[in-house]
Amino acid sequence: MEIIRKTGPYIKDDNNTTKIMFNLLISLFPIILFTFYKNGIIPFYEGKTNVIEMFYPLIFIITGALTSFVTETIYFKLFLKIDNNQLLSTVKRSYAIFPGLFLSLVLPINTPITILILGSFIATLVGKLLFGGFGNNIFNPALIGALFITSAYSIIIANNGGYLNKLELDTISGATPLANTSLVEGIGTYQELVSPYGTLKDFFIGFIPGSVGETSAFLCLVAFIYLTYTKVIKWRIPTVYISTVFLMTYIIGAYNDLGIWYPLFQILSGGLFFGAVFMATDPVTSPTTPIGQVIYGMFLGILTVIFRYMTSYPEGVLTSILTMNMFVFIIDRICSKARFNFSKSKYLFIACWSLIIIVSMFIATSFNKDSTETDPNFNIISKDVSNNKISYVVTQKGYVGNIKASVTVDDGKIIDFKVIEQNESFYSKIESDDYINTLIKGQDNLESIDTLSGVTVTSSALKRLLINTIKDYKNGSKENIINEDTNNSRNNFEIIKMEDNNDEKIYYASNLGFRGKIILKITVLDKTITKIEIDSSNEDYMEQMIDSGFFDNLVNNQNNIDSVDAVSGATVSSNAVKELLKKFIKEYEEYKNE
Amino acid sequence: MLGIKIPKYKSISLKKDFIEYKSPDKVYIPLVNGYDTDVTILVKKGEYVYKGDMIGKTKGLFRVPIISSVSGVVSDFQEMSYAFGDTVKCVVIENDKNDNYKEDKEIKKNISDYTKEEFIEILKDSGIVGMGGSSFPTYVKYECDKKIKTLIINAVECEPYITADHTIVKNKCQEILETIDAILEINNIDEAIIAIKNTNTELKKYLDDFIGTYLNIKVCLVPDLYPMGWERNLVKYIKKKQYENIPIECNIIVNNVSTIYAMYEALKYKKPLTERIVTITGDLLKDPINVCVPIGTPVKEIIDVVGGYKDSNKILLVAGGPMMGKTVSENLVVSANLACVLALSELKNDELINCLRCGKCVEVCPSKLSPVLIKDNVGNKERLKELLPNRCISCGLCSYICPSKILVREYVNKAKENIKN
Repeated sequence: MEIIRKTGPYIKDDNNTTKIMFNLLISLFPIILFTFYKNGIIPFYEGKTNVIEMFYPLIFIITGALTSFVTETIYFKLFLKIDNNQLLSTVKRSYAIFPGLFLSLVLPINTPITILILGSFIATLVGKLLFGGFGNNIFNPALIGALFITSAYSIIIANNGGYLNKLELDTISGATPLANTSLVEGIGTYQELVSPYGTLKDFFIGFIPGSVGETSAFLCLVAFIYLTYTKVIKWRIPTVYISTVFLMTYIIGAYNDLGIWYPLFQILSGGLFFGAVFMATDPVTSPTTPIGQVIYGMFLGILTVIFRYMTSYPEGVLTSILTMNMFVFIIDRICSKARFNFSKSKYLFIACWSLIIIVSMFIATSFNKDSTETDPNFNIISKDVSNNKISYVVTQKGYVGNIKASVTVDDGKIIDFKVIEQNESFYSKIESDDYINTLIKGQDNLESIDTLSGVTVTSSALKRLLINTIKDYKNGSKENIINEDTNNSRNNFEIIKMEDNNDEKIYYASNLGFRGKIILKITVLDKTITKIEIDSSNEDYMEQMIDSGFFDNLVNNQNNIDSVDAVSGATVSSNAVKELLKKFIKEYEEYKNE
Repeated sequence: MLGIKIPKYKSISLKKDFIEYKSPDKVYIPLVNGYDTDVTILVKKGEYVYKGDMIGKTKGLFRVPIISSVSGVVSDFQEMSYAFGDTVKCVVIENDKNDNYKEDKEIKKNISDYTKEEFIEILKDSGIVGMGGSSFPTYVKYECDKKIKTLIINAVECEPYITADHTIVKNKCQEILETIDAILEINNIDEAIIAIKNTNTELKKYLDDFIGTYLNIKVCLVPDLYPMGWERNLVKYIKKKQYENIPIECNIIVNNVSTIYAMYEALKYKKPLTERIVTITGDLLKDPINVCVPIGTPVKEIIDVVGGYKDSNKILLVAGGPMMGKTVSENLVVSANLACVLALSELKNDELINCLRCGKCVEVCPSKLSPVLIKDNVGNKERLKELLPNRCISCGLCSYICPSKILVREYVNKAKENIKN
């Protein structure tokens, strides 16, 4: 019997790194199966794909993982000259499959497999091996690969179908929920943000467009519980991260009169759960100190919110994590000292909390509440006003191009609604279901009317069309009438020049008309308009307008411009001229008072 | 964070009642107290010593007497292994097995019948030191001028395997309570709190049976965590106080329960500290048990007496608990601070894997250190000054928890050395 000497302790926790990595793999299985179901099996059963395409999600994920494994094996063999008999165990101890595995889960489903292989190679080589291999990398390797692919190949991927699987390509217009959100600059109604993809439950379960593995918040939550229970991940990071995003978007939403659905929508979109649970907790590239992990999570939340609202890059999660990877060293340094000193860590948290509040309030107040209510997909072509009755011609973006319709509103009630022009794919369904009448009948509570399955986009567009029209009516028709190709021209009025002709003053003022600028020559004598002439315009029926005595009427009724009727057949142009004149009088009045 | 839950392995040495083994042929009294090996030797080879005679005295800051645990003839001086892992010089005494004291011991009827000065003098002369492992001379704690408000009796025994304190409380409950009461009266202390683990229902039962008449003594159940028995943790948990260096800053004294029993023997019979209970346990022992032995008994002899090892090629012989103890050679001898001897089968050699920076060592550290960062910066003196490796109490939790099986504590120990130079 031999007595041996060894360094203690002589009992060890039975957890080990291989177990940790194994548990991580286990927690990914439901997510992989889900993506196979959602992106493979369902489109296959709906007849959108063939059998081989059905297995594409699985092939995709396995290819990613395998590429990493092969890359690492070759690297160890060629550059580190490791013996064949030790090669496998070395690669095993380096947990080689993970960069490629995670990469395949954060990419859009329509990424060509060659690009995935290239990305997985880059992720492993640049993200991991060149830093010195497992345990030494600063950045999350999978995210290095994802960054490489999105910066170099995003157009190819988008042309290939982007985030939408074969089924979603047919049923959903637009892109991922967050890309859609960025269209309305971050704030929108439930119908705009959530409804095109289903309900919040679909968001939670994961039946929304998104990357291969990151759509199911529910499964990520399950994985989080499992990984926390088995002590695999730093649980503070995802908890704080998601809470921070929730809190900030809650503030932003609440300030803009949006309900609790809005922060829920925000945390359930954009792969936040997947990123928070799997990518932000990558042990090698996240802080080791507990306080550091909380601070890290807070900053991830702040950055994600900033990226989502203040840049044109809607998927802020991965970018935030890569950015914060750089600061792990400094966070750990500060927090290792703060651990010894309670008051120091207190100030650290106060600073973070203040930052969260300031950033949320800054973003919340940056939305002009009025403009948030206008739907960029809705345009008013013309409106005919007589007393309380307004006849509108409006367009709303449908599934294929714009739907043009005439709507007559009297006393706040829709009395007539006709679709004039549309190119929708299955419009016959709308007609056969008499959806138009359903809308008219249910006009008092349009939001609650269900869209038609099969023609979701079209039916919801018709609904929005009416909602937007009524909104315009109720806003007292303050809305400018906007030409289709000059969406953003609202305040184009300006006084170009002024000529002094003894007592007479001649102003040249311009405003936007139906076809570009209208410039009027306005003669003022003794504070009264004596003459209105057209200096230049591209409008269609100018002759007709002059002939009808429209301008004389304006001169005669200059104290009550609104009472002058528009020239029929040239409503838009007449209204533009009226608008110009009103603005001029307002400006002139102000000038007079000075 | 007070600590984490770790496996206990305590029941194996509690299956049998403790035994006494009082007559080894030779004892090897280590000439050391704690880390202090600078000892004045007061005996010569061939000299007859009585039990309880002072045979040496440390020269350091605190003068602690080294006391003969048997009566007999000094036959030699020999290097033997000691609880802290190294070998130290020992006085070899041939035991005449008569337990002769120089003078007849009188029995004090009422052990609270001492003045504070007499009390401290007795502790000093009896060589009573902290028996939990530190070997800090006990009289020093009582000698200070500050008012002592609370005496905490540490019976937590948070290290796995060890049941020596458990055994002494179970068997000497009345004596221990009597001593605590006397200490309170002599030193004018307001209250005493006996800390035991909340899972230790057996001890709770024993204490509850006897504590009724002692109004100033309370039992406090502390969480079953390691290292809950660390003074700082006890003071923090029981009195919600934190101190800079020693508990007396908050008017608190912490004593190990075995030390309290040694004080009983000293106060009652004027017997100095000559014996202690040692837990002999581990998976390679046939019959794990607690044994009461004289200081200086060779551990090999005790193991033979209790039944010996199981068949095994390799054996880890550990002095102390599995967390803070160290492997020793077979010629280990019992000292006042040796609570446990473990015979463990060899740990399976885990493949060493790169640190994955999971942060578990940071999370568990009871001293709020960041061991992984200390490991990263072990050669960087400037950075080490921020990381305060000197606050490490060597509890071993960082090495215990590390999933990559890195011996993190050794890096911290190295950092401690580096920062000194």
